[in-house]
This record gives sequence, structure tokens and C-alpha cells, in this order.
Amino acid sequence: MEEFDTQLQELRRGTVVLACLQLLRGAGYGYSLLEQLGDHGFSTDANTLYPLLRRLEKQGYLTSEWNTEEARPRKFYRTSLDGIRLADALTTEWRSLTTAIASLTKEEH
Amino acid sequence: MTATLTERYISATIRSLKPELQDDVRAELEALIADAIEARTDQGEAADEAEREVLSELGDPGLLAAGYADRPLHLIGPKYYLTWWRLLKLLLWIVPVCVVGAVLLGQLLSGAEVGESLVQALAIGLQVAVHLVFWTTLVFVVLERTGADTGMKWDVDQLPEVQEDGAGRSELIASLVFLAIAAVAVVWDAVRGFFPTGGEPIAILNPGLWPWWIGALFGLMVLEAVFAFALYAQRRWTTALAALNTVLALLFAAWVLVLLLGGELVNHEFLSFIAQAGGEEFASGNADAAGNGGVFRILAVLLGFGIAIGVGWDIADGWRKAVRERRVARV
Repeated sequence: MEEFDTQLQELRRGTVVLACLQLLRGAGYGYSLLEQLGDHGFSTDANTLYPLLRRLEKQGYLTSEWNTEEARPRKFYRTSLDGIRLADALTTEWRSLTTAIASLTKEEH
Repeated sequence: MTATLTERYISATIRSLKPELQDDVRAELEALIADAIEARTDQGEAADEAEREVLSELGDPGLLAAGYADRPLHLIGPKYYLTWWRLLKLLLWIVPVCVVGAVLLGQLLSGAEVGESLVQALAIGLQVAVHLVFWTTLVFVVLERTGADTGMKWDVDQLPEVQEDGAGRSELIASLVFLAIAAVAVVWDAVRGFFPTGGEPIAILNPGLWPWWIGALFGLMVLEAVFAFALYAQRRWTTALAALNTVLALLFAAWVLVLLLGGELVNHEFLSFIAQAGGEEFASGNADAAGNGGVFRILAVLLGFGIAIGVGWDIADGWRKAVRERRVARV
């Protein structure tokens, strides 16, 4: 699949945002989110995910909180109300895209 | 105590961040890296090996910092690139050429050597070009980082006209008419004179140039006419035609400049006739300009300059059209 890398990356861009917003409806911290994303099939680089979380927080789609109860203090992110609305809008868009793409191949047969 | 790799990595990352962000990012990165290392050591990997791997995966700290700070990783992005490039091209076409011309003209008028003036003018032109590129780019780099609007919007009215390449029938006729007028003027000048002298006609061109130099001039004119027909026959500029055009233009420039520099182009009788007809005012004007070699010298410099610019433009124009034709042909 290496020959299509650029195109595939282009298509995947943006899906990570949606995945983060959905996964962080229940709060999570950076490394656990990275693993969860991988488990769900969104392979993401750490160095793009961590700045992305900050950016989403700055835009108001995520809220954050330091959890200092455990031995290792971690920054927990949670999807805000705006974030949930954004996630819903993105999901709707994704569904309509899926239908649109399906209609492309249907016409061929 | 030497800092660990992780400490060094985090320091390198947060160094360029805003102060209020630094502590927060440091604490977060410490946890993230520690988590990642732990995940690897749980699999049985050695601690220092795991640290290396984790940090390598995180990549260049500068890249990570740019992500945190939301900084662009390019000088000029797509939003400004075309505006920058168009402005730069426009400025580079106009400013250095004007500066080189002005400096050269000034130098020649003040009596400097031709070669020396040329070198100096080109050196200044180069400096101007470098400054132009630097400052224009700097302005756009600042714009890119402040996100200001340049106010440049494209609309269909800006579409360039489809360009004529000067290889059509009207260009052929124009060339031939111009050459005919020039040939007649040279002969008329020698036989009848252009102005009343109250006696024998006085030619403007040096009569000593007949027959060989003037013959060469007519030869060049014939070649120009042949060239105009060749261009019309081909209907477009080619590399060969552009080369031919260059040779002809250089021959013409050589013809004029050799005579002009040698003081052989213009009839001496004609010059003294003008000086007499001009009377006292001319004499005083000439005296004012004497420091620069007199009025005639200044006129000669201006004439030579004009011819050099005209010939240079003619050559460049031919190549420009030939290159464009080749590009069109390739598409």
C-alpha cells in the first residue's frame, strides 16, 4: 500500500479529530488515548496527536483537567458540549460521504 | 548530574514555547513519555533502550514545538505565495533595470570608461535585486505569521489577453515599411539633405562612410528584410530565428557604436553648421557642458545608450517569444 501513502494520508486526515472527540466523551489522557486510537484502527503518531489535543482544547472542543491523585500526575481531556456537537456534525458528514461513495460503485454494476 | 535524554528532549521542545505554556507542556510531556516508556518496559524492554525508542518516535522536538505553538513550518504558505511571487517578479523586472540604466547613464555622462561604468552599474543592479528579494520576502514572512490580509483578490478581469507573438502579416508589413523608410532616409540625407542650408546640402551622416560603411548598412537592412520574411514564413518564433535576430541586432549595434565611439558617425561639417546656426546660446550651453565633453558628447552618449537599450530589448524579446512558443508546443 506504500505507493498510495500520500493519498491515503490525505483521506485519513480529519478522521483522527472525529475519533478523539468520540473517544474522549469519557475522559482520557494522552497515552491511553494513543493506544485506544491504535486499537480502533486509527494509527496516529504521538507527535501529531498531542499538539492536536491542545489545539482542540484551545478551540473549545475539549476541556482539560490535571489529575494529581495518582503517583504520576496526568492531564485528562474530555469532550466539551461544543465538541459533542462537532462530533455529531462530523459523523453525519461521514455517513453521507459513505452513502455517496457507495453510490459511485453501485452505478458501475 | 547529567540530564536524562527525556529531560533534554523536553527542554528542547518547550524552549521556544510561550512562558505560560512551558510548565504545562513540560508536565504533560513528562507523563506522556513516562507512560510510553513504561508500556515498553512492561513488555520486557530495557529502560534506556525504551527511552531511546520513545523519543525517536516522538521525532524532532522542533517539529513537536511547532505543533504545540501552532506555528507554520514554511516561510510563505499558499495563501500568500502567489501574491509574493507576482510582486517579486514585477519588481525584479522594473527596479534593477531602471537602476542599472540610470547608473550607467550617469557614469557615462560624467565621462567614465564604458567598461568600468558597466561593471559598476551591474554591481549596483545586483545589490538592488538582492535587497528587493530580501525585503519583499521578509514582509511576506511577517504577513504569513500575523495572518494579515493583502487585499489581493483574483477575478476574471485580470485574465491576460492571448498574446500576439509578432509573427503575423501586420508585423511583416511594419518591418518592411520601416526598413524602406530608413533606406530612403539614408539616401535622401546624402543626396538632398534634410534641412535648408542656403547652398550645398549638408548630410547628417558622415559622407566618408560611403560606399563601404553605408553599403554594409544597406546589407544589414536587406538581411533584416529577409529575416522578416523568414519569420512570416515560419509564422512563429523559433530558437534559430531568435539566434538570427540576436546576430542581426548585434551587428547593427556594432555598426552604430563603432562609428559613434570613433566619432565617425556624424558629419563634422553638419556639427559645425549646427554650432553656428545655434549662435551664442549654443556656445554658452556648450561651455556649461564642457566639463562633460560638450553637448555633442552628451548627445552621443544618449544616442549610444538608446541604441544599446533598443537592441537589448529586441534580442530579449525574440528569445522570450521563442521560449514561449516552445512551451506552447510542448503542451
